[in-house]
Amino acid sequence: MHPGPLVGPRRARLRRTVAAAAALIVMLLVTTGCLGSMPRDSQGTLDRATGGVLRVGVSEHPPFTVVGENGDVSGEEVDLIQQYAAGIDARIEWTAGPESVLSEAMKNGDLDVVIGGFTADAPWTSTIAFPRPYTTLERPDGSTAKVVMGVRPGENALMVDLELFLARAAGEI
Amino acid sequence: MAQHTDPGGTGAHGAAQGHHAMGEQQRETLRRAIRLEWITIAWVSATVVLVGLVAGQSQAMRAAWAEDALSLLPPVAFLVATRFIRRPSSRSHPYGHHRAIGVAHLVAALALLGMGSYLAISSAMGLIRVERPPVGLMVIFGQPIWTGWLMIAVMVVTSPGPVVLGRLKKRLAEDLHDKVLSADGDMGSADWRTAIATVVGVLGIGIGWWWADAVAAIIVSVSIIKDGVHNLWSAIAGLTDTEARTVDGSEPHPLTLEVEQRALAEPWVADASARVRDLGHVLHVELFVAPHAGIAPQLEQLEALHRRVCELDWKVDDVVVVPCRELPSSQTFRSTLRD
Repeated sequence: MHPGPLVGPRRARLRRTVAAAAALIVMLLVTTGCLGSMPRDSQGTLDRATGGVLRVGVSEHPPFTVVGENGDVSGEEVDLIQQYAAGIDARIEWTAGPESVLSEAMKNGDLDVVIGGFTADAPWTSTIAFPRPYTTLERPDGSTAKVVMGVRPGENALMVDLELFLARAAGEI
Repeated sequence: MAQHTDPGGTGAHGAAQGHHAMGEQQRETLRRAIRLEWITIAWVSATVVLVGLVAGQSQAMRAAWAEDALSLLPPVAFLVATRFIRRPSSRSHPYGHHRAIGVAHLVAALALLGMGSYLAISSAMGLIRVERPPVGLMVIFGQPIWTGWLMIAVMVVTSPGPVVLGRLKKRLAEDLHDKVLSADGDMGSADWRTAIATVVGVLGIGIGWWWADAVAAIIVSVSIIKDGVHNLWSAIAGLTDTEARTVDGSEPHPLTLEVEQRALAEPWVADASARVRDLGHVLHVELFVAPHAGIAPQLEQLEALHRRVCELDWKVDDVVVVPCRELPSSQTFRSTLRD
């Protein structure tokens, strides 16, 4: 009735189980290859944009983004994304519109990045992935909010790359 | 129907309460179990905080987080119940408070089942809607690191604790005949499967397989649902007074047969039938005995039988001996272990 202490066959079995689990994990790591390249995009957006076109949606939100009469864009985030695009040798294709329209375009896969002083608590999380915040803004009621850019969900290589760029630009790393 | 008297259930031979009925060895085992449960609570709380910090948008990590948070319930239920069962029986609780364990068991089972179903459904919806989990960067002490690596590290570091504790608890549960402790141990020792599924899901995200994470979460939630269903049946069985079974529920409890055999060993007993139910961690025995024709058992003989049945095992806690001319027709079945 008493199963006895954890010795002999019981311990051997436990050890085998643990060893098998460890071996499985190592095998997976090896077969998936190139650990350094993780994470990858689920749809290869960063690879496509590098040396190609980065599709950026802009919603007006001064001073982060300003959309001119003739459709040309400027502002702090426009400058940042232009620097980032230059870093990956990408040409930017701009689309201006309100947040709701950008969210819909993101859902249809027509945009790679959206900017416009989005806050981390924005209601678009089902269609837009928000990376880590790179700065804060002060709201009219005096509270502060974390400012984020938006990335196509599942494009984790692009997201991490952009996050690295923003963290360096902010002097965090 | 024969006259029913109850010489054993009152007076000097009154039923000892479960806690007091334990021998020194069982009490030491109970103390160890309580200590293990406190260690479990501390470990799991730390795990819940760590996993919560890195979980982000990963369904599998959220599933693992929920499973960890829920796995606090059985230890808490066990600790609460072990306090309750110490209370003696009273006019308002004539059977004592042992059922507290059954209630704790039911609550834990329902929580598991509910949360498992919720996770399975939300992960399946994520797959159907093609939700691609974003897993980004974290900066720790100025070092940028992909959150996926942190998730994997947390899983690898935290999962051995419940596995080791679970195996220790399952051994104590058998000695203590405690189903909540046993269920808790089962869940803990299965924890490494959750960890592996989660790690594989996160690695899947890492190589761009957005669905790997949701699939892993579904696998985790299926294991939670299985735990829940198994425990729900076991808790309902206990609360509806089914035949007492061994702590893992695999077979009828051997003490039912032993009680009947002990009664039949008395020279004056012609036939005996015991109905034994599980009050949570102690057994409640009602023993019907029919004397040989022409023999009227003396009070001393009944008391001796009561004492001998009580001495069979500390788990035999509350014993009522019912002498009758012939066994009640509704109780003429025998221990299912007989023959």
